[in-house]
Amino acid sequence: MSELDRLRHAMRATERPDAMLDLDTVMRAGRRLRIRRRVAGGGAATLVAGVVAVAAVAVGASGPGAPAPTGSAPPVAVAPPSGGRMPSSLASPSREATPPPTIARGVPGPKPLGQVVDTGVKHGTDRRVYYFVRVTVPGQPKVTMGLAAGRRAPDGTVGTDILVNDVEGADRSPGFHQIGYDESSSAAAAPTFGYFVGPAERIIGTVDGRQIDARLSRWSMDKQVVIFWFDPATLTPGERLDGIVARDRDGRRL
Amino acid sequence: MARGDAEFVEFARAASARLVHAAFLMTGDHHQAEDAAQTALVRTYASWSRIHDDDAYGYARRTLVNHLVDRWRRPMREYPTDEVPEQRGADVADDVTTRRWLVTILGALSPRERAIVVLRYYFDLPEAQVARELAVSVGTVKSTSSRALEKLRTAAPRTVDEEARR
Repeated sequence: MSELDRLRHAMRATERPDAMLDLDTVMRAGRRLRIRRRVAGGGAATLVAGVVAVAAVAVGASGPGAPAPTGSAPPVAVAPPSGGRMPSSLASPSREATPPPTIARGVPGPKPLGQVVDTGVKHGTDRRVYYFVRVTVPGQPKVTMGLAAGRRAPDGTVGTDILVNDVEGADRSPGFHQIGYDESSSAAAAPTFGYFVGPAERIIGTVDGRQIDARLSRWSMDKQVVIFWFDPATLTPGERLDGIVARDRDGRRL
Repeated sequence: MARGDAEFVEFARAASARLVHAAFLMTGDHHQAEDAAQTALVRTYASWSRIHDDDAYGYARRTLVNHLVDRWRRPMREYPTDEVPEQRGADVADDVTTRRWLVTILGALSPRERAIVVLRYYFDLPEAQVARELAVSVGTVKSTSSRALEKLRTAAPRTVDEEARR
């Protein structure tokens, strides 16, 4: 018997088929975790911004070979403010929360504020991009911008898939703001994204015990604003983060 | 009990023993193994509505392995003989010997090497799937697996000889 066969045999021979865990405890803890994830999905933004919510706009459902619709977002679609923590339905951009899209290739979406960040992520011939757009929220003069996930077509036109913005507080307050989760099953689902205000050099998400580094890009109009997204190869779009932290150049948590 | 809960309980009853044992192979410690398997099942249950129609066992296994790989920083401990289950009667001596051999050779591996060995040779997953589950390249799986087996060969002779003399 080779070492490998012996190893295989030993690994199976030492199984303890009677091993059983306390499933009541497992399910109680699982329910708590489920609730925590729902709250966390609402974002990290609640950590600093008080209340945020998502203005979810058109989620283009095209694959590379589809008629290539491009979501062209209305100037802003804002969920009503809530008192502290928002319901999970607001926390995640989804088709249910999506107002009727005005979709048309070639019709420009909201005009980007500053430079459009090209992530290098490809969806067929389109490229995933993120950019800020101007928004207005009634009664919230310090909320003037939201972060959009869009796609740039080969002809240079940019269409919006998802827009997230605060609905209370200030959009430049230090810390994390809304996390954008694309829960569509589209092949062109947007990688999980968001922005952080502060001197972040690393942003690290945690899911199921895994730590995942986000990719970062500073906003051209304000270098304190760090746009981040998670490579879809390491974090499946729509998968909820258990937590997220930002660290400065010395590794200190911000 | 809700239908989803009943399905989860059925799944957990069927999967617990293998998850605990896989965690034991990766930690060499029964208490850590049970904690890790419980953590994997908690996370699986938390996501049950999303995954139960898919590959729930695969989800639990991935969660378990990534949880352990991320958290370990210590080498495996020698398996304490007083924890050997007694229900197998005359086989206890064999069990003790086999476990000691197993723990010794797996203890010579790094956490990631152990994870690859357990996924490849305990769960019998193909290299490509191991690579996906550990978020590494297939080349990394091949080279790490090869290195791990080489370590096993160099670690094994003394213990194999001891076993042969039994």
